[in-house]
Amino acid sequence: MPIVKIDDTDFTVEKGTSVLQAALANDIEIPHYCYHPALEIVGSCRMCLVKVEGMPKLQVSCNTFVGDVPSDKKIDGKYDMVVSTQDELVQQEQKNMLEFLLLNHPLDCPVCDQAGECDLQDYAFKYGNAHSRFEEDKRVRPNEYLGSQIVINHNRCILCSRCVRFTREISGSSELFVEARGYNSKISVLEEKPLDNLLAGNVADICPVGALLSTDYIHKNRIWNLDKQPSICQDCSVGCNVDVFHQKDQILRLTPRENHSVNKFFMCDKGRYGFHRFEEIERLTVPMIMSEGGFIETTWDEAIEKTVDELNGAGKGIAGIASPFHTNEANFMLGRLVNGNVGTLPPITSEEINYPSGFRISGDRSPNRHGMNDVCPSIVDDFASAVERKDIRFLYLLDDGIDRELNELWKGMLEKIDFVVVQSYAMTDVSKCADIVLPGQAPFEREGTITNDMGRVQWLRPSVTTKGESRPDWEIPMLIQSKHAGVEGLTDVSSVMNEMGKDFAAYSDITFFRLGDQGLPLNGKAEE
Amino acid sequence: MSSFEPVLTKHIHEEDCHTLAFYRSVGGYKALEKVLSMKPDEVIDTVKASNLRGRGGAGFPAGVKWSFIPNDSDKPTYLINNADESEPGTFKDRLLINKTPHQMMEGMIIASYAIGCNLAFIYIRGEFYKETCLLEAVLAEAYDANLLGKGILGSDYDLDVVIHRGAGAYICGEETGLIESLEGKRGWPRIKPPFPAVEGYLKCPTVVNNVETLCNLPHIFNQGPEWFRSIGPEQGPGPKLYCVSGCVNSPDVFEEPMGVPLKDLIYDRAGGIRNGNELKAVFPGGSSSAILTAEEAMNVNMDFDSLINIKSMLGSAGIIVMDEKVDMVQACLNIARFYEHESCGQCTPCREGTTWLVKMLIRMINGGGTERDIEMIYEITDNIGGLIDFSQGSFGKTICPFGEAVAWPVRSFVEKFKDEFLSYMPNLEVVA
Repeated sequence: MPIVKIDDTDFTVEKGTSVLQAALANDIEIPHYCYHPALEIVGSCRMCLVKVEGMPKLQVSCNTFVGDVPSDKKIDGKYDMVVSTQDELVQQEQKNMLEFLLLNHPLDCPVCDQAGECDLQDYAFKYGNAHSRFEEDKRVRPNEYLGSQIVINHNRCILCSRCVRFTREISGSSELFVEARGYNSKISVLEEKPLDNLLAGNVADICPVGALLSTDYIHKNRIWNLDKQPSICQDCSVGCNVDVFHQKDQILRLTPRENHSVNKFFMCDKGRYGFHRFEEIERLTVPMIMSEGGFIETTWDEAIEKTVDELNGAGKGIAGIASPFHTNEANFMLGRLVNGNVGTLPPITSEEINYPSGFRISGDRSPNRHGMNDVCPSIVDDFASAVERKDIRFLYLLDDGIDRELNELWKGMLEKIDFVVVQSYAMTDVSKCADIVLPGQAPFEREGTITNDMGRVQWLRPSVTTKGESRPDWEIPMLIQSKHAGVEGLTDVSSVMNEMGKDFAAYSDITFFRLGDQGLPLNGKAEE
Repeated sequence: MSSFEPVLTKHIHEEDCHTLAFYRSVGGYKALEKVLSMKPDEVIDTVKASNLRGRGGAGFPAGVKWSFIPNDSDKPTYLINNADESEPGTFKDRLLINKTPHQMMEGMIIASYAIGCNLAFIYIRGEFYKETCLLEAVLAEAYDANLLGKGILGSDYDLDVVIHRGAGAYICGEETGLIESLEGKRGWPRIKPPFPAVEGYLKCPTVVNNVETLCNLPHIFNQGPEWFRSIGPEQGPGPKLYCVSGCVNSPDVFEEPMGVPLKDLIYDRAGGIRNGNELKAVFPGGSSSAILTAEEAMNVNMDFDSLINIKSMLGSAGIIVMDEKVDMVQACLNIARFYEHESCGQCTPCREGTTWLVKMLIRMINGGGTERDIEMIYEITDNIGGLIDFSQGSFGKTICPFGEAVAWPVRSFVEKFKDEFLSYMPNLEVVA
């Protein structure tokens, strides 16, 4: 394989790797704007210029590829290419390019949402001049809406065309284009075809400057005030990797996190803005028991005691409803509690969307059906006739959450069961059918593993703290089961994973440490 | 007057010179017959041996360009005839299209045959409406005479030609911008590599040749590459059309050998400077070339190397003559404005830099300039297009040569006519 020397270090790279890719993969910074690993190379920003030995002029590193040079032509008898990113000429050129980019830039970082994560700000600080020589009038244009949730600040735009290429190559919808020419160029849409596809939010992420902004986040906070939690989107069975930005237990935005085995660089707007629907819900934070006049609050000790009593009285007539919205660990503990006698509610679905780039929005809105089926292998299909036969006297139900609507058939079935325990985070349709409601966690509070529809196990990490007296979803069935069976309880989610691995060989090697940021395929099934 | 007998424009003053019948009567399409009996590689070798260099502006050897077409590709190959003549001061291709369209067509068929192309395009400047209509008639004549279509002149070679009109952008004369435009896209030049010979039109191997380049081909095959090389300098031989315009008595297109003295073109062929004025400056190769002072113009020969030696270029051989009455600062602004208007806006230095130059020049003309602005214009032009003398590896800062095309003339104006720029600065003493 070819060897490229970048500054003072040698790297062995695949033939055909660009200098920029080689540098970035090895933590050497070459400033760049128009290059994005998911998009076609255009080489127009001219920011990534480097000096390549033997070439008469500076080269854009995004479009300079390391090839195999015949052995007699290797530089110093060894290198296929020798690159300098620190040459004086390169540094001067970076200064020049930033000077051009900043000519018409408003320098409004104090009120710009991109400040703190802006490539223009960072590079200008690191590579640019401290002063401007520009004495003429700046070009000033008003902001425009490109779609219902994307606004463009033309004054900050550097015309790298990443967003235009995104709509052509990734979403395939081609809403964006460059209007006019030269100095008058601007990113634009047709009035009758605004940027309203389900991947539109990504253009704000890939914009290297503060030009494209999501109206959902605009002027809400400053990026350096927020905590960033790597996690997994829970809005469909694809399981896009995300970063959850939050402050004081309030989520402000979600952005996609790179994972080449799942979502690559992007996420859809359903997932991106989905967190808002949990903001206004009335959260359950204490256990509730149904009495004659409706639900009354109770303590955890009483609630668990009551549940264990009912469980004892039900003999063999016990069952559980697992949930594809819950983690593997919660479903596993439920399965243990009800001796594997498990059913599930009908799936919540929407249309599956496949984009030309391979990006996918699944029709299954639940994040963990694969995992639920793995850890509850004997899911009963015909739950209704078991209820009819009065075989089931005690039902423990993991609630899917606020998206679950319960039809009359199921409501009728639940009524026929002597005692229904619902574990939920809100007073949903399902909770209302309960004899006792045990407060679990809301989606962004959960920790554990979920398995996406391609069989990749991923680490779901909590972004916000659990509200009130609510307890982790795996812990509640565990407490009941240990009290019921008179065994010692498990102390944390890792020990649940350990137990789960003993019962289900596919999960035997899964630990948080091994999952890391990128997750693991089950038995190599999801390996590309 | 010149003793050189024109080659390309020999018959342009004769009646019906644009017709097939006329062209055949003066030996037209004889070269094609010869070429069709040769192997494509032999055709390429002949053109290489003639050392024909491209007449569009860059002067790249045509045969070498053809030989870059990969032999092992399973994709179709395309030839594009670049008739998007839009360099200011250039009007030679229009003459060739109007007067000798079959000469061009014969050249196109020869080139297409050499590179194995079965579908060729004529990308014609949108404003050339009359020429487009003429070419449509010429194509019909050629199809009728089996010069195009299936089995050309009884051979097993097929070729179709399609005319495509441009939509009025200067940048679409740049070969990759042209290809994008031909594909129906925005005329933004492509980054190279890959070069068009490998990935051009529809990502297939493509050769783009200028009208005048193609017109030379029949003569190379009729009279041999040695004859062609005997005309003008060894490093870029052949007959050449020169467009002389500006402050001369008889502006026109003149055919002379490569390397003719610029002085002869201005004072002999074009009848000298109007009103008996003094010569002040000359663009030798369209407005993209660095301007020459009168002294430089009087001593230079019109060929690739002579002009590069004095840090200008032959370009499209669009000679724009300026006399003593021309205000060089206003002329510079005029040129800068043209390039500002035509910059495609893709690359940062060109998009931002051209406008910066225009804004500065306007400020200077309005009396707001300082001596520091002169230094700044040097630096800005260097940052857009690099230094004129290609030193320090600092040229080629944009995807296409447009950056150089704006930087070099503007910089040369300021360098060579600095006093005139300084005269626009009323407060010079105070500032200094």
